[in-house]
Parts: sequence; structure tokens; C-alpha cells
Amino acid sequence: MSTALPNYRRKQIRPVWCSGCGNYGVLRGVEKALGNLKVPAEQMVVVSGIGCAGRFSHYLNTYALHGTHGRALPIATGVKTTRPDLTVLVVGGDGDSLGIGGGHLPHAARKNVDLTYLILDNNTYGLTKGQSSPTTPWGCVTKSSPYGSPEDSLDVLPILLAYDVSFVARTTSLRIEEISAVVSKAMQHPGFSIVHILSPCVTYPVLKQKALRERIEPLPEGHVPGSKAAALHLAYSSDPIYTGVFYSIQKPTLDARLRHLQESALERYSAKGTPPSIPSLMERFL
Amino acid sequence: MTSGKKSFHSEVDFILRIAGEGGAGVISCGELFARAAARTEYHVFTFLTYPAEIRGGFAMVQIRVRDWTIYSMGSKLDCLVVFNQQAFDRTIKELKKGGTLVYDPQAVQLPPDLEATLLALPLTELSKEATGSVLGKNIVALGALGHLVEMEQRVLENLVRDRFASKGAEVIKRNMEALRLGYAYAAEQAWRRILLMADLRPKGSHYMMLSGNEAIALGALVAGCRFTASYPITPATPIFETLTRLFPLVDGRALQMEDEIAAVSAALGASFAGEKALVPTSGPGFQLMTEQLNLASMLEVPLVLVDVQRGGPSTGLPTKTEQSDLNLAIYGVSGESPRIVLAPTSVEDSFYQTIRAFNLSERYQLPVIMLTDQSIGLRKATVRMPDLSHIIQLDSHVARTKVKIPQPEFINLIDRAEPTAKELEDYRRFRITADGVSPIARPATPGGQYLATGLEHTESGKPDYTPENHLQMSRKRFRKMEVIARSFDTNPIEIWGRADAKIGILGWGSTAGAIREARYLAEERGIHVRHMHPHTLSPMPHRQISNFLVRLEHLIIVEENYTGQFAHHIKAHFGVKAIELHKCEGIPITPEEILRGIEKVAGIIDEYSIAKL
Repeated sequence: MSTALPNYRRKQIRPVWCSGCGNYGVLRGVEKALGNLKVPAEQMVVVSGIGCAGRFSHYLNTYALHGTHGRALPIATGVKTTRPDLTVLVVGGDGDSLGIGGGHLPHAARKNVDLTYLILDNNTYGLTKGQSSPTTPWGCVTKSSPYGSPEDSLDVLPILLAYDVSFVARTTSLRIEEISAVVSKAMQHPGFSIVHILSPCVTYPVLKQKALRERIEPLPEGHVPGSKAAALHLAYSSDPIYTGVFYSIQKPTLDARLRHLQESALERYSAKGTPPSIPSLMERFL
Repeated sequence: MTSGKKSFHSEVDFILRIAGEGGAGVISCGELFARAAARTEYHVFTFLTYPAEIRGGFAMVQIRVRDWTIYSMGSKLDCLVVFNQQAFDRTIKELKKGGTLVYDPQAVQLPPDLEATLLALPLTELSKEATGSVLGKNIVALGALGHLVEMEQRVLENLVRDRFASKGAEVIKRNMEALRLGYAYAAEQAWRRILLMADLRPKGSHYMMLSGNEAIALGALVAGCRFTASYPITPATPIFETLTRLFPLVDGRALQMEDEIAAVSAALGASFAGEKALVPTSGPGFQLMTEQLNLASMLEVPLVLVDVQRGGPSTGLPTKTEQSDLNLAIYGVSGESPRIVLAPTSVEDSFYQTIRAFNLSERYQLPVIMLTDQSIGLRKATVRMPDLSHIIQLDSHVARTKVKIPQPEFINLIDRAEPTAKELEDYRRFRITADGVSPIARPATPGGQYLATGLEHTESGKPDYTPENHLQMSRKRFRKMEVIARSFDTNPIEIWGRADAKIGILGWGSTAGAIREARYLAEERGIHVRHMHPHTLSPMPHRQISNFLVRLEHLIIVEENYTGQFAHHIKAHFGVKAIELHKCEGIPITPEEILRGIEKVAGIIDEYSIAKL
């Protein structure tokens, strides 16, 4: 890792991740993607939640907000709504994105807010030292499930497809080049894009590197990302675990939707569509 | 009106209440009446209570019309209109002796010995005649009221036409007929007029007719707020509804989010991105937002949250009023994070305090919680149009010294301090400064990139849990509160009443008007009272409140809750004893109720002085 890309690294803060953590690979892949896209660091806002993945925002030399558990997505929605000029990247782990913050996903999808969400999935709560998470398999023994987890794990991609997230992809921390390529595509996608990144934890290996390496396989050539049915079919496969862009469609972004509202409001207000002054708006309350 | 008249004494002071079943149009009847009255030279003040249900339950609207400034909803009623038995049973005790009762004889059974002018109005019958259903009862009542107060029929016709404009010609026609029948019936029965409003001149200066919630929305607009995010909750929703209507016209944006947590999160994100953001909610929503409010304080991100308080706890009384979120506003946080708590006193004050909330929030990079309540939020009052040609945008570096509280003639606006080119050379977002405030870089500013983390951090934003750092950064954050508390000395809190009065009243928020009227009533009885009503509840304007307290022998603290939250706060800060006057019934305290408290305290003083003799 000596030939790192220094441009996007915040020098003052060193990662707290364990040696061998999948997140290092993700960080490198994302840095490569940013380098490919040549996004100026000051034009970017990285918003993250709590957990090991939540520390992601510390390490990129951009504007960064490391907030509360599960709320990265609505915070980022506020950033992007007021500042469409900024490039917004959101990062969370499986607990942050699918557990405590899972309720925000469908609504960001409904808005099609133009940002990229990286879900770094290690099937466990690493920072609190190895409890079961929403993606921990049923029966798996963890610190919070000493007799085996009593719950099913979530099938992440089918959920995102059902929510009609307009860009859905999967990759793994084992493939830095693929991360770079997929994240680049996601960031270029106009609308809400999610990249589900399987990133094994070395200390609490619920998701094991070796098993993952054996099962991952790129999406079949010829997969058309415009077809949700095809995407769903491939998304349900657990062996092989496919990686690549499952789904990508065009629909108006939140910014375009709000602009449209604005235009019709102005048209209704005055034939010329000129914006009113504040005093003239107050006259309406006489 | 004669000039030089003392502001409390007036020739016209008329209180009307209309009560009936929810969904019967009681409130819109009252609102139309209030709107018509507001177009005259008189001042108007309404208070209303909806049932929590859309249909059924008990709804009422109270309108006070006066030839001078109105401070409260008043006490006893001059005129009461009841649509059904429940409305009669629940409100008849509020009618003055000899007041006027208008009732539907088909729906209301009167007891034998009522001391009132009784006016039977066959609402149900006339409504069926005009509209073919009972849905026109409210407009029939409006017509009859129009006769009673000698309001020109044309004025009400225009208002009714506007109200039903979107419902089509047939509906307008039926309602016009209902209005006409109401007028005609009252005239036929030769009802004696109880007020004469026909020949009044319209008001001289510009007045708006606003609810407290609308005043907050307009205040935010004037303050330069261009983002709001919200989740529907009674009784705060109209703030969002007003902003979401106005924002698209001024390049602002409003998002209805999936829950309150998402709403406050989005606002926090918008403010981080550089926009002034408002989050309107009510108690149960506020409770959900406290975590993000804590984060805003830790990240030093400006944010304005409005809590239109309703009856609690839990779902409580969604459509009623209460002042019971004070503890939550001041103390509701994990760990210790500074925040500012303000409480507007009236509809008009809601406008100016909202501007002030944004100024304080931007100036000190702190969350500001504004506590209003259902009684201010939903009632309508006439509000003088502020002079917007006198808005002064203060440079944030100058603004560090003196900031005046906004007034109709004089509005200051402040935006957050941004780092200078020199500061960006070695930018430390959380730099320790004399007043605790460090310049905040707007995203896209080259060289301003920083990490804002909820973890304890150093001046540059790096996580750091060392003992020295935690102490130093806690001091930095709390220094802002000390600076704010000191800054109050340039904006003295008004104290009303004679300087030598031995009895003092402290209140907060919406009780200001009722306390003011109680003080006038007490003065008429020869009891002198001083009244202080601080707008800022946290940090405490310590020096000014102590100066007020030291001159008193008896302190009365008035508030609308069960446990006396403000009294606890005052007693903890100043170590004083207080006589606490609480009302916890979901409705505002009246001047008469406060007067009774004052009289009791005055009685104690008399006995005490006799004993001394």
C-alpha cells in the first residue's frame, strides 16, 4: 500500500481499522475512483454514520461530517438539496445502513437524491466488538447470539431493487480495481446510487474472506442493467455472489423535481415568472 | 378613539365564542368573522381549539375585538354561540352575567334560570332550507352574528365567496343563501345590536392577519432561511405548510421527510452546507430530534428548531396548549451541550423572535430552540407590517459586539462568520477563541475542508479523547453561553409596573398577555405588581433577573403545566422562594385566574402588615 494516492487522504488522521481490515481496500478503491473522476476535494462532502465504516469520512481530505448512528442518509439529503453543486458521498456499515438507519433508504430512493451511498457490509458490529447485525446469517454464533443468531439475514440487493434505488451495484473489498470502476460509475450516475461492498472483518470474521473469495463472480456478460427482473434474479443468488452493476435507470433527480416545482410555482405566481420580493409575499397576509 | 388614553382602557372590548361539534365549520365561521373584524380599525385576537379528530368531538373558536392592542384571549364572554348541547354544557359557565347566548333551539335544552339575553336561532332548520343539509349551519350563524354586530352584509359576502371559490358556483350560491337567511332571521326577530361595526374606518397602517405559526414562517423568510424539513405534527404543521408554499418563489427548498429524525438530520445537513435551516415540530417530534440537536451543538452547526408545544405527556392532548417542554428544551440531552432556548410571547413576537433565533444561531453557531405553544401557534391576530426597508445586514465580525433584538422599525440580520484567506492558510475549524466562536468554512471553499465529528475533537477536528482536550473543548463550547448571557445587558428586559411594587410576577411564553391584563386589573383594585417576562430562558439573563428579584417581597411564577418547570429553573438559579401558579388543563390561563392569585398574595401581605402593627 506504499504507492497510495495522496491527493484525497487527510494526512492528520490515521485510520483506526485493524490491520487487514477490508475497509482499507475500499478506501483505496474509492480514492482511485475520485482520482479517475478528478473531483476537487473541496467540492466533495463525505457523510458517514457510526461504526468502523463510519470512520471513512475521517480519512478523505474533503468536507466531512461524521454524525450520529444511522442518520448519514438524511443528513446528506439536506446537504445535496441545498447545494446541488457539491458531490456527496455517504458511507455506512451494515448496522448503520440497514439496522438503525434502514428506515431512511426507501425515502431517499423515492426522492432519487443525487448522491452515492457505500454500504460496507461485514455482517457484524465490529466497533462494539462482534455482535450480530442485520446481515449476520441465521444460526451464526456471535457475542450477542451465543447460541446462534435467531433471525434471518437481510438480502440487501433485492431490498434496494424493490425500493427502486436508481443505481444498484455490488463489489467487494477484495477487488480494488472493481471498487474503483463501480464507484466511478455510481458517482457519475445522476440520482441515488448504492454500492453494496462486502468488506470482511478480520477480528470478528462472520463474513470470511476465504469463503467470499471462493463465491464471488462478476455478473454474467450481457446482463442488462435496465431490467429489474433480471437484476432481481441475479441479486437473489448467494452462490455465486455476483458483483458489478445490477441495475441502473434514469429518472428525475430530487434537484430536477424541486426545480420543476419551483418553475410551476413561479408561473402560477406571475405570468412573467419573475420571483416576488419578500414584502410582496407578506402583502398576501393582509 | 381619543388620544392619550391609557392603553388598557378601551371603549370597545368584545369577546365572542362559537362552539360546536368538530367538522361543523365552527372554526371557519369564527375565522371569517375575525377576518371581517380585522378589516376595520379594531384589533382582533383569536383562540381556538380543535378536537383531535377531524369529525366529531368539541371545537371552539374565541374572538376578541378591541379598539386597542389586545394582550390575551380575555376572560368572560360577551357573546356565546352554541351549535349543540355539548358545546352549551361545556362553555355556558364562561358567559358573562347578562351576556348574549345564541343557540339552536332544536339542539340545545336550556336550564330554566339563565341570566343571559337568549336568542334562539334555528340553525339546523335554516341551514337545511338554504343548502339542503346541515353543512351550512356555520354560515347561517355567521349571518346572524353579522346582524348582531352590524357588520355590512357585503363584507361577509366577499369573504364567503373567497372561502368557497374553489368549490364551484353551486356551493357559493348555497352558502350565500345561508348567509342571507342568517341576516334576515336576526333582523326579523329584531335582535338588538351588541356592537356597531359598519361605519368603522379601515386601519391606518398596514396590518397582517397572522397565526403564530405563519408569523414564524414569515420571520424565517425575512431572516434569510431558505431550507426547512419537517414531518407533519399537530399543532406545528402550518409552519411547514406556509414555508413549502412560499419557498419555491424565493429559491428556497422544503422537504417533507419520513420522520422527525430525518427532518432534523436534513436541516443539519443543509446548515452544514451553508444554508439557514428551520425545523418546525411539536413536543413528541422534538423529543425524537434531541439526538441530532446534540450533534448540532457538538459540530457547532447553526440550527433553529421551533417546538409548538401541545398538551403532554406522550400523545397527550395534540390539539390543546401547554408549556411543558421547557425541561426537555433546556436539559434534554446526553452529555452536556449548550443550546439557546427562546420563548416568544405573542403572534407578533413570534415573528421577531424567529429572526432573533436565526441571528443568535448564526452568530454563536448553536442550535436555538424556540418554544411557542398551540395557543399562539394557531390563533390569529392583527400584526403590524414591519418596515422591511430598514433591514441591516451586519458583518459577522462586527456583529460580535452588539446585536439588537429585532423590532418593527429595525431589523438586523447576521450570517455566520466565514474564515478569511489568512485563516484558511492554517484552518482550524474549532479554533479556541475569546468568545468560543470559530469561523465556519462553507463547503466548496478551497482549503477549508474539515472533519466535523460528533466524537470529542481537537481544534482542527481530529478525534481526541485526552483529559486536557475534553476539558479545553468543553470550555470552548460553553464559553459561548457565558458570552450570550453577558450580551443581554445591551438589550435590557422590559419590566412593567411600578418600581416600588412588592409583588412581582415572572412568566414565560404565551402567558405574557394574560399576566399583563391581570396586572392592569390588580392596579384597578389598588394592588401594585411588577411583571418580567424574559424571552431567553437559556442561557439565563442572570443579572437582570436578579435585579428584578431583589426588590420584591413576593414572587409569583405563572406557567401552564403541572409541575412548575420554569419555577424549578428560577429557584435553582436564584435560590428564591416563589408562589407557583400553574394551570394544567390544556387551555390558556386567563387574566382573572391570575388576578385571583395576585389578590390572594396581596391578602397575605395585608395580614402580615397588620401583624407587624
